[in-house]
Amino acid sequence: MSTVTEPRAASPQAPVASAAEDALDVRGLSKSFGQRLVLDGIDLRVRRGEVVAILGANGSGKSTALRCVVGLVEPDAGSVRLAGHELTTLSGADLVSARREAAMIFQHIHLVRRLSAFDNVCCGALGHVRASRSLIRTFLPSHVRDQAMSCLQRVGLEDRAGERASRLSGGQQQRVAIARALCQRPSVILADEPVSALDPAAADRVMALLRDLAHEDGLAVTAVLHQPDLARRYADRIVGVREGRISFEEPTERVDPQAVARLYTFDGDA
Amino acid sequence: MSIGQHTSPLLPPPRVRLATRRTLGSGAVVIALAVVFVLAWQACEMSGSALVAGWHGMVDFFQQAMPPDLSWSGVVKPALQASKITLYIAFLGTVLSIPWALLLAVLGARTTTPNVVVYQLTRSLLSLLRAIPEVVFALVFVTAVGLGPFPGVLALLFHNVGVMGKLWSEAIETVDEGPVQALRVAGARRSQVVAHAIVPTVSPQFVGLLLYRFDVNVRASLVLGLVGAGGIGFLINQSIQLFQFDQMLTQILIVLALVIVVDNISAILRKRVA
Repeated sequence: MSTVTEPRAASPQAPVASAAEDALDVRGLSKSFGQRLVLDGIDLRVRRGEVVAILGANGSGKSTALRCVVGLVEPDAGSVRLAGHELTTLSGADLVSARREAAMIFQHIHLVRRLSAFDNVCCGALGHVRASRSLIRTFLPSHVRDQAMSCLQRVGLEDRAGERASRLSGGQQQRVAIARALCQRPSVILADEPVSALDPAAADRVMALLRDLAHEDGLAVTAVLHQPDLARRYADRIVGVREGRISFEEPTERVDPQAVARLYTFDGDA
Repeated sequence: MSIGQHTSPLLPPPRVRLATRRTLGSGAVVIALAVVFVLAWQACEMSGSALVAGWHGMVDFFQQAMPPDLSWSGVVKPALQASKITLYIAFLGTVLSIPWALLLAVLGARTTTPNVVVYQLTRSLLSLLRAIPEVVFALVFVTAVGLGPFPGVLALLFHNVGVMGKLWSEAIETVDEGPVQALRVAGARRSQVVAHAIVPTVSPQFVGLLLYRFDVNVRASLVLGLVGAGGIGFLINQSIQLFQFDQMLTQILIVLALVIVVDNISAILRKRVA
């Protein structure tokens, strides 16, 4: 008897997304908070195996777009297609299981500080495990524990598995958070300013890891970044967002530095 | 260039106003408190002269109590045995309240409650349980199950669920939202979020509050003895009714020792889990 439901087998229509299909396909996403229009018809497509960086000034709506995909924010309009499932047509358990295809990395890392790195990584698999088998940490199914170890190995921290999360450095904590995201077995990783709180060396290591997860493991990685330089070095494509709209979308080598600079100027300042 | 040599004109620093609304407001509060103090003094018939005039009453009382009756088989041994019952009552009342307090704390914390209706109902239930003192619960349960330690345990259990549920729900509300959000996004259910994010984060606070409540419950179970719910409080009540104040003094000294020991042990344990 398996206590883990395979995400695809459990999916309602079970259409296996082909490699050619976009893992994430967002169209016409709009959202306003009160009077303020934060997203004004955003389109975003991310394929498996590529890193897409989203650049934009504070308040341009880039984080809100990611939060709409994982359900932390309810969009006003638009469609979100994730690994072949149209999220806006789903509800209840189907929606929850379809959303497991997207894992999120946070700027403030959000590990449970008093748990070990290993226990934190196991938390990523909770959506796949029945509640009755998952309430006591030591009774988690052994294949979940094995999987958590292999995720920790993937981020190069298997030797720190038993260490409390709060005792790890910022960069190590963010890599544990990435391992937790991997333990969710997603096809899309959404990283919301993953390196803003890290020193340059740790930031490089985390960005390189995210790039490898796309290029080597075939994940679709989307990262909201505040450093155009990091985007240029690690992303395959760069999307510029300004005032809730896409202002450019180009392969990294074709991105115009002036267009990037324009993202951070305001009409009032000019 | 030193600080102060500006090329642009300097803005004046914000002006300090002396009689602001705030200082006037706090002055009014102090005057109001003084008025209430005088009214309360009169209403409670506070009188230093009555205390001095009645000095002899207290001296007589202590003369009757001194020396304490330290006979082993008649007083000390039964008092020690009753103290053991008092500890047992406090222990069971505290331990049995844990699952209920945990459930109500989760339902009554803004960050973990399923919806507003459940939140408000839980908060009301917790307030009700807190509002009814242990002694009142004990009286109710004594009428149901008769005299003895059992109604005492039930009384502590009910009141403690109210207090600990409230304290724990406040501890839960101070937990950082981030990890909770991260687990929700990963597809974890409410029970899983509680087990893997909230309980590990608040466990030192939970244990600290639990030990504090045990400490309080030992003292509360003394009072419960007065209404017939067993333990050393029951013996103290008996001694008073039979005017055997020398026995009462022995029993109170044993209570004093018991409270000091429990207080110290719980302080040591709380320091260890923090």
